[in-house]
Amino acid sequence: MRIIIVGFGNLGRGICKAFVEKADFLRKVHGLVPKVVAVADEFGAAVDENGLDLPQLLKTAESYKTVARYRGGRRGKLVLDLIDEVSADLVFELTPTNIKNGEPGLTHIRRAMQAGKHVITSNKGPLVVAFKELDSLARKQGVEFRYSASVGGAVPVIGLAKKLLSANEISEIRGVLNGTTNYILTRMSAEGVPQEIIIREAQELGLAEKDPTLDIDGIDTACKITILANAVLGMNAKLSDVKVVGIRRITPEATRLAQEAGQMIKLVGIARRDLLEVAPKLVPLGHPLAVGGTLNAVTFKLDLAREISITGFGAGPRETSSSLLGDLIDIHRALGG
Amino acid sequence: MLVKMVMELEDVPGQLLKGLEPIARFGGNIKSIMHQRERKTPLGRLPVMLIFEVRDQATLKRILAALKQAGVRVTQVGEREGEIVNTVLLIGHIVHTDIRQTIDQLNTIKGVTVSELNLAVGNLGHESSARMIIAADNKERSMLAISKLRDIAERKNLLLVTSIEAV
Repeated sequence: MRIIIVGFGNLGRGICKAFVEKADFLRKVHGLVPKVVAVADEFGAAVDENGLDLPQLLKTAESYKTVARYRGGRRGKLVLDLIDEVSADLVFELTPTNIKNGEPGLTHIRRAMQAGKHVITSNKGPLVVAFKELDSLARKQGVEFRYSASVGGAVPVIGLAKKLLSANEISEIRGVLNGTTNYILTRMSAEGVPQEIIIREAQELGLAEKDPTLDIDGIDTACKITILANAVLGMNAKLSDVKVVGIRRITPEATRLAQEAGQMIKLVGIARRDLLEVAPKLVPLGHPLAVGGTLNAVTFKLDLAREISITGFGAGPRETSSSLLGDLIDIHRALGG
Repeated sequence: MLVKMVMELEDVPGQLLKGLEPIARFGGNIKSIMHQRERKTPLGRLPVMLIFEVRDQATLKRILAALKQAGVRVTQVGEREGEIVNTVLLIGHIVHTDIRQTIDQLNTIKGVTVSELNLAVGNLGHESSARMIIAADNKERSMLAISKLRDIAERKNLLLVTSIEAV
């Protein structure tokens, strides 16, 4: 399969490393030979119609912070040209999330679909802003569209949901969907340390962004709830439909008071047809959502199966490459591979 | 689930055992038994009220069938409306916004009482945190209390953290 990768940060590199590491496995088990023919980042692009040398590409990106320095690479805004002109089956759209208008990811995805290319994305922006549009565009163009990595990182929330939907009606999805805030709350509760100090440490450890606002204020979780509402519950929800309260006001004393009552404070997202909400909630110890550290956890409420919960790592390039690669294999199968 | 059941037994020895055996056989855990001697029926039967816990509705059905087979007359059965206890947290300037009044307002709801309050006062200039336990006679009243507390919290700019089970 011929592949274009747009965005070469942690996730772009993560999926390339997975291609290298799993090359034999993919060929033997799935008959899949991913050939990366073009990669673009914000500074430029590397193209080779015969397939880029991935170890070399990774080394170049590591040393020079751009793939433009790969042999024959070019500088400049080349993404749309690549999408239109390079002969490929599929585009990985892995640029950073922009929740205001979904750009530049939204345009990348549209163009890829219009060019008849399948799309896999981890980018929440376009999904939050234009899920319905992209979903129908994919259908109209007859291309496959997957976005497992946008919710839950390595945890196959959307994949499991779609599987469950074949026999069940899903009435509610609840989840701890943001590893950063879960890490902060877990440490506040264990150590009684104020939030600011833990945030600073989390930033040093690379667990929190330089500007952690989107995490702390619950916006990241709200984006994921919006995506789940649209993709799983079939709603037509916008980010502004989600009632959001973040964890900014949670004090170490509050986490202690919760603990004394056998509870943990978790930032929980809830998607139900009559309620889209993100708020700190008391979760009893031992509850499936009472996960610690950077873990994510999701519980589905179903008519037949009643409740199903999953938990796992919600972030990290290696972990998330599991979802990205899973989507690729899924598309490969859907195409009869 | 908790079940409240009234069975009418003949007032002769061994009858109670006949009524209890099917409950025990299907794993029911009996919480209380009350003879209602003052309500003896015209036919001389004795109503006995039981409260017991069973795993689910299906188990209750099995128990009812077994009771019927044993010839025990069940006159009332239903889920018991028990005390519902809700733990919540409040974060903000709890004392300065008159915690007493917050509690009083909840206590004015019939069947609702604030049964516990734990306060952790924040450092000077910081917000305080409180854990409150609200007991209510039944689900409706419990929900009413939470929704009232939500209004109060909004008015007083307090962050209310409710249990995930209350959603």
